[in-house]
Amino acid sequence: MASLFVIQGRDQGSRFHLEDAVHTIGRTHTHSIRLHDTEVSRNHAELVRRGDTYTVRDLGSSNGTFVNGKPVTEYELSSGDQVQVGRSLLLYTGFVDDRVEDLAGKVDIVPLAGGAEDDGSRIVASMGQQTGGSEWLMPDAKGSSNPWLAKARSNLQIMYRTALAVSHTMDIDQLLARIMDLIFDWVEADRGCIMLKDLETGKLTPKVRRHRRGVRSDEKMSISKTILDYVVDQNEGVLTSNARDDSRWDPAQSIVSLGVREAICVPMQGRYEVVGVIYIDTAVTPQKALAAKGANQFTEEHLRLMIAIAHQAALAVEDTSYYKALVQAERLAAVGQTIASLSHHIKNILQGVRGGSYLIELGLGDHDEATKGEDRDEGAAQKAVDTIRKGWGIVERNQERISALVLDMLTFSKEREPEPQPSNLNELASEVVDLMTSRAEEQSVELLWRPAQNMPTLMFDPEALHRAILNVVTNAIDACDEKEDARVIVTSQYDDVAKVARVVVEDNGAGIAPDDVEAIFSVFVSRKGGRGTGLGLPVTRKILEEHGGQVRVDSTVGRGSRFTLELPATPTPPEGEAPARMTQAFLAGDMPSSAPAS
Amino acid sequence: MSPAARVLIVDRSRESRDVLGSLLARRGAEVLEARGAERGAQIAADQYPDLIVVDAEASAAEGDGDAAARLAAAAARNACPIVVLGTFRRSATPFGTEQFVAKPYHYGALIRRIEELLGGRP
Repeated sequence: MASLFVIQGRDQGSRFHLEDAVHTIGRTHTHSIRLHDTEVSRNHAELVRRGDTYTVRDLGSSNGTFVNGKPVTEYELSSGDQVQVGRSLLLYTGFVDDRVEDLAGKVDIVPLAGGAEDDGSRIVASMGQQTGGSEWLMPDAKGSSNPWLAKARSNLQIMYRTALAVSHTMDIDQLLARIMDLIFDWVEADRGCIMLKDLETGKLTPKVRRHRRGVRSDEKMSISKTILDYVVDQNEGVLTSNARDDSRWDPAQSIVSLGVREAICVPMQGRYEVVGVIYIDTAVTPQKALAAKGANQFTEEHLRLMIAIAHQAALAVEDTSYYKALVQAERLAAVGQTIASLSHHIKNILQGVRGGSYLIELGLGDHDEATKGEDRDEGAAQKAVDTIRKGWGIVERNQERISALVLDMLTFSKEREPEPQPSNLNELASEVVDLMTSRAEEQSVELLWRPAQNMPTLMFDPEALHRAILNVVTNAIDACDEKEDARVIVTSQYDDVAKVARVVVEDNGAGIAPDDVEAIFSVFVSRKGGRGTGLGLPVTRKILEEHGGQVRVDSTVGRGSRFTLELPATPTPPEGEAPARMTQAFLAGDMPSSAPAS
Repeated sequence: MSPAARVLIVDRSRESRDVLGSLLARRGAEVLEARGAERGAQIAADQYPDLIVVDAEASAAEGDGDAAARLAAAAARNACPIVVLGTFRRSATPFGTEQFVAKPYHYGALIRRIEELLGGRP
């Protein structure tokens, strides 16, 4: 099925399946592709199906529609196209999978033995990938008399080994080393080198270097730039032998001065471009030349095979580097998103601090003015103090916001095991309610607390649970902002049968649209504008899940929300028995035989 | 600042409205407040403010570009300048030609900017 996958933006990770004749993109819930992106217009664009393709058409949106970075009014999409609307980036995938499914329907897999459709097939021979192939390609022990067949076999074997080397590693250096090894096993080269092209500068950098045994390896290896340039520019492999006779080389160029007699240099041509070169050479001494009776050490067949090997290696290098680039890009995108939203929150807090401190500054100035000289103006002085106090309140509140942000960040990032200790959920929730009462009053929200009468002492991490409840109560109060008769009710419950303790936080505020319910638990998604960090609910959920519990939400837009924090009841260990952690600490002590001090 | 200047503050944060409101009140301005663009548009249409200060998030957060557009239209009818707080890109808000003050801003500078704009009014 065709789909649009959101790879960037607030709806990141959502997939929209496309099957209807028309799909529309916009910000309101009437659209089949609804994006929570303020830069997306209410009616932004539409996708119209023609056969098995979709065409995207901009509906006069204010910020436009882009495909692969270019603005479009109408564009026929093909798989892999990236559609940008507002700040959201969507990846289009076409109807390819359907065809695969059709094909699958035409192939029947029938039970082999006993079935009515059994065609009588039996396994005659079997071979694993690891062991089978290369032995099968080894020259016959009996010694085949046909030299052509023997050569073909050996060529096939080297290709097979190349394919294996390529398939077995994601590490480029290791892969290139293996390729070089098997080239040296196969051909009598004195020196060899694999160079890869730097993606940015285009410069060739040596990655692997090999010398045949007996050839001095400490000697610096010089490779003719003339050859390299030709190979890369023309994308052709070359076999050079006695360069002076070859019309392609100008005798003045470096190939002559280096005295290279025979060399093979092939481009590593991948799917998209030349990623590097493989070079081997051999110095032909007069004795050797005599022994070979004028025949070349390297042949065109060697060249052909080298080109094939280099192609295989190039594909692997390309795959690996594209994969790495993809992972890196994803990581950078995530880091970028994190930094962007954190700086946004910090900026808002900073703005608050500036507001508060500006008021204090003004108040101090007023106060100086009022108390200066002989006639002290008590009224003005009092007013100045009020201004200072107001400013100070704002500074303090923002200080709390930043410490809450830091605590949430820590809770979210740390793989922190809860540290359970006997605690009372009623006490904890009541603490939170006390803490939030003044804030609720400030926002004209009535905050009610209804503790369960039968709440036992349970094992949990009180600090973490405090945070979890606080985040939910804060949200509930914020959700009631500017609402008449706003009310938040915090209730605790204990279910003795199911052995579950709950804290329920109910508000009669704005409510959450059904589509948004999952999104509120996503990191850095805040529906509170500048006030939310987008960390509160993810942190609450994380804490509850660490305790084996869960967070449930029921909400109706316009009527309010109910958040239920559910905690499995772990009873405290019986009296007199030390808590588990202490026991462990004691057992690990130096003197296990000594009695505990208590 | 002339004593009768009427300034509308549209901001979701009560705290921000408070701070800016008290600063303007000290200078003798009459301060009107709205939490969102919707309410802001109403006040702008009914009470003819001389200047509107709107937080960029207040216009975006309601998820309804229309309210912000109505606010901009009401301001335009009265030739009332708008100061938008907290955005760099014009394209991100429905307010076209107005003043932009990037966050985090200093209140001193913001007040001076507002006084300049009010000073030029008929």
